[in-house]
Amino acid sequence: MTSTPPNAANTDILVVDDVVVRFETQEGPVTAVDHVSFGVRQGEFLSVIGPSGCGKSTLFNVIGGLIGHTSGVVSVGGETINSPHQSIGMVFQEESTFPWRSVTDNVAFPLELIGMPKAQRIERARHFISLVGLDGFENRYPNELSGGMRQRVSLARTLASEPKILLMDEPFAALDEQTRLLLGDKVLQIQQQLKQTTLLITHNITEAVQMSDRILVMTYRPGKVKRIVDIDLPRPRTSEIVGSEDFGRYVAQIWADLREEASRGMRDEEEHALHHTGAPS
Amino acid sequence: MADTSRVTLPASAPVLSPVTLLRLVIILTVLAVWEFLSHSGWLYRDVVPSLLAIGRAMFDLLAHGDYYFNLAVTAGEVGAALAIGGGLGLVVGIVLGANRFLSKAFESYLYYLGPTPKIIFFPIMIMWFGVGPGSKIALGTLSCFFPVALSAAAGMRQIDKVLIRVGNSFRASTAQMVFKIYLPAMRHPIINGVRLGLGVALIGTLLAETKLSNKGIGFLIIQAYSIFDMPRMYAMLIVLFVLSIGANSVVGRLGGLDSIKRS
Repeated sequence: MTSTPPNAANTDILVVDDVVVRFETQEGPVTAVDHVSFGVRQGEFLSVIGPSGCGKSTLFNVIGGLIGHTSGVVSVGGETINSPHQSIGMVFQEESTFPWRSVTDNVAFPLELIGMPKAQRIERARHFISLVGLDGFENRYPNELSGGMRQRVSLARTLASEPKILLMDEPFAALDEQTRLLLGDKVLQIQQQLKQTTLLITHNITEAVQMSDRILVMTYRPGKVKRIVDIDLPRPRTSEIVGSEDFGRYVAQIWADLREEASRGMRDEEEHALHHTGAPS
Repeated sequence: MADTSRVTLPASAPVLSPVTLLRLVIILTVLAVWEFLSHSGWLYRDVVPSLLAIGRAMFDLLAHGDYYFNLAVTAGEVGAALAIGGGLGLVVGIVLGANRFLSKAFESYLYYLGPTPKIIFFPIMIMWFGVGPGSKIALGTLSCFFPVALSAAAGMRQIDKVLIRVGNSFRASTAQMVFKIYLPAMRHPIINGVRLGLGVALIGTLLAETKLSNKGIGFLIIQAYSIFDMPRMYAMLIVLFVLSIGANSVVGRLGGLDSIKRS
């Protein structure tokens, strides 16, 4: 079940090697990410799962090059990452479409930045809009779309930059469960079609098992790698798989790991709240 | 279409809505009271000239090229003030909005100086820029700098942080960040600032013209006043009033059109 790939490192397109992130806060230094190492193989779908406060969003920002790390190395295709890299495309958890741009102009944004001629980038944008299933909405504005559609626009925009690695931070967190499952299907389908190497940050076990080849479980603060689980379910997959027996076993197994961490996080937060509101007794 | 059971007179509704009707009544009442006062003899002659006299004065005004020359002078001054003051305000506002240190150091000065009547600087402006349009532009610039800078700084801080992260993740250059993310994301506060800026630039410029000048609308108004040509003065005030409403609605329209697409 547990895979440790130290010698498989040469086939890994993304390598996170012994990364530590420490923040200075008013209550002293906090270690958000503690000696985390793993690799993502070409074409693989890897999910990082953990309770809130395990530093997974920090890890997302470090891999995306948006924030620095204290020590360790993140590299993509052998190149060390210290700032945003063209090989990595990020999809954010928050609403991130540009409200003043139409769907086409949103998706064409990264192409516009690299100076692609207008006709060409519109054609490229159309292709990715169609890929995420938004044909017919090319000239709409984000406020005319639902939350799930807007998140698909963000996904199309990131895919349009043709990243080697698609990095997503709980992209469906704000959506309802049905939309989330159906969008999961869409992502799986696109991922298989493009053979897109994908790293998904999530706290949703179903989502992680539904989509991943491997799942990395993180511990609650400080965030360490607790376990890496291979998900040996047949592909192509759809959301129908959530009913299968194997699926249930994986979910149970990961929940067993996660439960411990999540309850530790809960206790910690309660204690923290008690401490800092100055309880009268 | 939806309500066929009710019989309505199709012609009655759209001609005059109650609001329009009320507005018309108010305007007509004001005009009637005005006309009554002008004929009553209760006030000095010409303090409240008859509507006919004002109408005639307005015709004279609009029939002469002289008026348009002065209008162009004032419009040019206000335009230049808005361009310089608004442009500087935008740059300063963006810098203050983006940099917490600079904002802490300097922004309170903007708040102190913002509401100060700029006309008190007019003597200095005359010394620096002369009696001509230069000093009026300077005063208008000074007036509209503050509202634009303050709205831009506030607008900059309101930008959704995730949009900035999106720009960074796609490795946008500084210029691309400014023109493709910051400016469009803060278009509403900026338009509001420009609107306020236009108002105070107009006030500053006209006030300066009434104080010391030899051309411009402010000069004409004060000239009419000094020879007690009241109908002409009122005619100019009315034209000016209409023009500022027009200018304001043009700027407002720019913001309004945009917001339809947004939310």
